[in-house]
Parts: sequence; structure tokens; C-alpha cells
Amino acid sequence: PAQPLTRPGHGVPVSVIRLPHGPDGTSRGFDPNSPRYQALSPISISTMGCGNEADLEREQQARVALRERYLRSLIAMVGHTIHFTMYERVSVSAFFDASDIDILNFQVSDLQTPLGVHREALLRCSDIISYTFEL
Amino acid sequence: MAMRQTPLTCSGHTRPVVDLAFSDITPYGYFLISACKDGKPMLRQGDTGDWIGTFLGHKGAVWGATLNRDATKAATAAADFTAKVWDAVSGDELITLAQQDSNYLLTGGQDKLLRIYDLSKPEAEPQVVSGHTSGIKKALWSSDDKQILSADDKTVRLWDRNTMTEVKAINVSMSVSSMEYVPVGEILVITYGRTIAFHSAETLEQIKSFEAPATVNSASLHPEKEFLVAGGEDFKLYKYDYNTGEELESYKGHFGPIHCVRFSPDGELYASGSEDGTLRLWQTTVGKTYGLWKCVVPGKNFMKFENNFPILTTEDLASENSDSIYSSTPEVKA
Repeated sequence: PAQPLTRPGHGVPVSVIRLPHGPDGTSRGFDPNSPRYQALSPISISTMGCGNEADLEREQQARVALRERYLRSLIAMVGHTIHFTMYERVSVSAFFDASDIDILNFQVSDLQTPLGVHREALLRCSDIISYTFEL
Repeated sequence: MAMRQTPLTCSGHTRPVVDLAFSDITPYGYFLISACKDGKPMLRQGDTGDWIGTFLGHKGAVWGATLNRDATKAATAAADFTAKVWDAVSGDELITLAQQDSNYLLTGGQDKLLRIYDLSKPEAEPQVVSGHTSGIKKALWSSDDKQILSADDKTVRLWDRNTMTEVKAINVSMSVSSMEYVPVGEILVITYGRTIAFHSAETLEQIKSFEAPATVNSASLHPEKEFLVAGGEDFKLYKYDYNTGEELESYKGHFGPIHCVRFSPDGELYASGSEDGTLRLWQTTVGKTYGLWKCVVPGKNFMKFENNFPILTTEDLASENSDSIYSSTPEVKA
């Protein structure tokens, strides 16, 4: 903890109720259920928190189904050749090995690039615009 | 009983924090935005440091970030050659604005030009103001947005916004590291080298200046103008009496140079951003109950230490039937 140089080690440290909350690691934040969001955000942007219970439930089920499909697609990709379209007009291809839990990085092998072939590589997902593969 | 400052570390950034800005006080409190070299500026609740959201979209280090007064919009500038305007409520990048009154965005950069973008017509060409002879380090609106203050390596200039002409310029002996405009009292706070200088924002004449023990990267004046805080290359934060220049407090705590310091709009705390990737919140009045800080009454509260932070526990002393996890006598570990 910080100490004032003028009075080293002096005094009882001020107590805190808790520490500031950090990013939750699962989303970019801006909670649509916060009072500020409810009051200030245009209806067209928020998809949740403005509908009735049944609508919310249906939407959540749709999200669950889409999410599960996407995760299964990642499993299906393993061992296949994937063609990635990246920013700066870059296209590469590689064998897909795995994704990390937050889908921030893809682990690939035999990455074919204009500069040569990388036996093992990590692709940053934020650099990828799209990718395709054939089953 | 003497109290020792407990700074609150806001984690989340993974690279140096290079710029900070507070909004004004809004019906929902006040907010803090931080610019980070990891390219992901973050919005936090100003009095607690609680993370609200991360603005995703920049593809390079974000060097500058600011909020409009009611924190409904954010603007960021990055090494990807773009400036972005964001909806600070939803976190979305704004492409068009659906508002009647126009808002303007001021940018300044390495190409020595100031640009003013009309956000109600984002496709239109910005107004360009030339005159700087070296890369622009900082640009701010002043005098109720009727004037612009900008700094490069050698000069600080004042521009009239309507005529787009230079009104005044002063020379600075060293490269300006930061500039803060204080509307009430029309004061400009500039840092260069080890100097913290205060100028009239209208005439650019110097009012006073102080020297810090090491190179200062940023300074901020308290809203009531009683104190100023500054931080820089020696990793320490300094608090001075604005009237006398006396050094009142200083704090170690950051693990790298401090890039930016700012007082909150109510003056109750100040935030520092550092090369070490953290943002820290510091109390102006140490020991006062505010935000997450709680004034402890001797003998009536329990404290326990978690990761070196003294956390207040809420124990129900009155209930005799409750199973107490903690011992009944206060434990304060040094």
C-alpha cells in the first residue's frame, strides 16, 4: 500500500468498503439494465430490458441456441484448413487447433502467409474479419 | 488519530494508462474515462472506480480520451490514425448522430494541424487550422467553446474559434507534457520539465509556477483551487497548496511513471494513470467517508486485510445467536 513520504509508516490506513469492480471478462460492459442505460439509451439500441417477460425469454433462448451452434462449429473446425480474411487485405490459411475460452485467440498450425509457413501460431481474433472452411 | 491514505487501484488495463478525463457531475454521478496503450479505453464510475464498460474498436494504442460534460458521449484518439466518437451509455461507436444541436470534436496531431469536426455532419470535411510549427501535443476548448488552446513542443497558442485565427501565443522553454483548462477562473495548468505553471486562459500570461522534484507529466488543479496534484517520472504523486506552493503530501504506490492526473469534478478524489497499467484513485481528504472509503470509528468497526487492503467488515455484534466467522476482538494486522 502507498505510504506518504512525509510521514513514513504513520497512521492507521483508511478502511474501504470494498475494492473497485474490474471488467467482468465476459462482455464489454455497459449494462443495459443499469438506470442510466434505461433512461438515456434509445429503444432501438437496447434489445433487452424493454420487452415483456415472454419476449425476453424467447430472445434469451435464441441467444443460447446461436451460442451453442457457434461453439459446436469451433469443435467441428478442428483439424480442417481454414481460410482467414484479415484486416489490411491479408488472407491466410491454416489448420485450426483450438480457441481460447473467451474466443480472443485461435491456435493454428501450418499457417500459410505471404512471408512463409509458421508451424505453430496464435491468431488474434480481433484481427480476423471472417473465416471459412469446408466440412 | 492520524490516517494513512489508502489508494484504490482500478485494474483492467493491460498496458500503460496515458490519459484520463472526468465528466461533470450528472444525475447518475460522475464518470471517468481512461486511454490506454492496449487500445481499449474504459469507462468507470468516477467516485468508486467501478468498471462500466470498454470501448472496443480502435486498432492501435489510444493516446487521448475525453467525455462530454454529461458523459453521454466519449471521444478517443489513437495510433490507428482515427478519432472515434462513442455513445458512452451503450458503448457503441457512433457513426451518425440523431440530435438537433451540433457538437464539435477538436483534434490535433503530429501533422501540426488542428481539425474541428462537426459531429452532426460527420461526412463533411473538418475545418482545419494551421500555424503550429511542430506536432500538436494537446488541444482543448476554452471560454465556453469560443476559443481553443493548443500546445506543441515550443509554444502554447490561443485561437478564436469563429475566425479560426491565432489570438495569442507564448513560448515554452521545454516540451509541454500536459495541459488542463479550468473554466472557473479561466486558468490554464501547463506542465513542462519539472515545472507546473498556471497561466490565464484568456491572456496566456503566467500567474505562478512551481518546481517539482522530478519531471512532471501531468498536473491538475482542485475545483476550489486550494490544492493541486502532480505526477511524473519518479512514480510519485505530489499534492501542493496552490496558494503557498508548499508540498503537503506525496505518495509512492505506482510501479511506473505517472502519465496523467485529474481531480474529480467535486474535488473529493483525484485519479492517476501510470505506465504500470493501473489507474488509482486517491482521497483529497484522507480518512473522509466518500465513495468506497469509510471513516472508521475506533472500537466500533472491524477491519480485515485482503491483499493488503483494509476492508471494513460488517459484523452484527448485537446478535448473540449468530455464528461469528471472525473473532470478537478486532484484528488489525500490520
